Amino acid sequence: MEIELSLSGGITVVGIRGSVDGLTADDLMRILSDRVSEGAVRLVADCSALDYTSSAGLRSLLGAVKLARQHGGDLRLAAIQPPVLRVLDLSGFTGILKYYPDVETAVVSFAEPA
Amino acid sequence: MNLPHRHQRGVAVVIGSGSVKCAAALGLVNVLNRAGIAIDMLVGCSAGCLYATMLAAGRSTAEAAEMTRQLWTSTITDQHNRRAWLKAAFPRLFGFDARFGLRDDRLVMERLNAAFGDARIEAMPTPLFLTATDFANGNQAVFSSGRAVDAIRASIAVPFLFSPWPIDGRLYIDGYMSDPLPVGVAMREGAEVIVAMGFDSPYQEHISNAGRFAFQVSAILSNNLLKSQFAFHGLAHHAEIIPIIPEFKQRIRMFDIEKIPYIIEEGERAADAQLPYLSRLLDAQAAVTAGGAA
Repeated sequence: MEIELSLSGGITVVGIRGSVDGLTADDLMRILSDRVSEGAVRLVADCSALDYTSSAGLRSLLGAVKLARQHGGDLRLAAIQPPVLRVLDLSGFTGILKYYPDVETAVVSFAEPA
Repeated sequence: MNLPHRHQRGVAVVIGSGSVKCAAALGLVNVLNRAGIAIDMLVGCSAGCLYATMLAAGRSTAEAAEMTRQLWTSTITDQHNRRAWLKAAFPRLFGFDARFGLRDDRLVMERLNAAFGDARIEAMPTPLFLTATDFANGNQAVFSSGRAVDAIRASIAVPFLFSPWPIDGRLYIDGYMSDPLPVGVAMREGAEVIVAMGFDSPYQEHISNAGRFAFQVSAILSNNLLKSQFAFHGLAHHAEIIPIIPEFKQRIRMFDIEKIPYIIEEGERAADAQLPYLSRLLDAQAAVTAGGAA
């Protein structure tokens, strides 16, 4: 798994490449927690290059979402590829997370009234 | 042919409900065999029980596919249970009771007995757990001993179609009613890495009769139950659940046994996609175990 951080319109965009799983989930959680601790509570996960997530990956995503929301922000997902979307859907995550077709739309969504 | 196991620790394989689509598990097992990954335990639900039992008994995937063609034909639901229809129409007159099923189950029992005889769950070479649902209270029932035929018959007791099945004084219905993909059983039995193959129940294209209406209602309930249970177990388990969800581009009906080669192929494709990660995970676990032992 590779993580690339960038800023877009004041929103932290977290590009995730590869697989979020039992071997990498802790790294993702640590990186996201660090950003939230630094005050970057509005995050978008760019999932366009994310090709797999296992149960450990889901736990880390959920942990990051909870943390961001506890601090008044949110972690929103963008450009989820079909295999990952199926796992998110099977796990009920599509009912509790906000997700968008692309990063730009996800970033803009933070400007909309909640 | 049994390949030497490349990994010290194996995986638990959970095969969810899904009628003939469960044959995709044979594709998954082909992939695990080729990679030298051992199966430490098998868990089956509903039709998944058929495959879990065949594999736990040491049948090859080719043998299991052939057994399915013999066993799982539409003729097993051809015979109406006339008395059940009369019981439904005139419950007091004909004595309606909990053992209600609109299809005669003699043929399916004949075939299950021919396939598995008196084989017992506890005697299987690979540990086997079969799930059904307690008809009195809706609790999941897990059979880890007893006659395999009884547990399978209980777990495939599709409501309204086949009557609930008695085991030790209790009645049981289809396992999907309590959990269509029972990964919780593997967790409880101590599995660290769980490979879970699950299937959505198909929605009806046309609701043209009461039977299709009932199947549609059942599919809605079971698909939502699948999601909620899987979400709970995924978040509750400390280790790893690897979902393998075959994507069928062709519509698969309950008894489409002629599509078994295609179903197995899709199972292999879905499993192949997760194999690199599964291998890395098992290697990492083996390294931790070796480090701990040193």
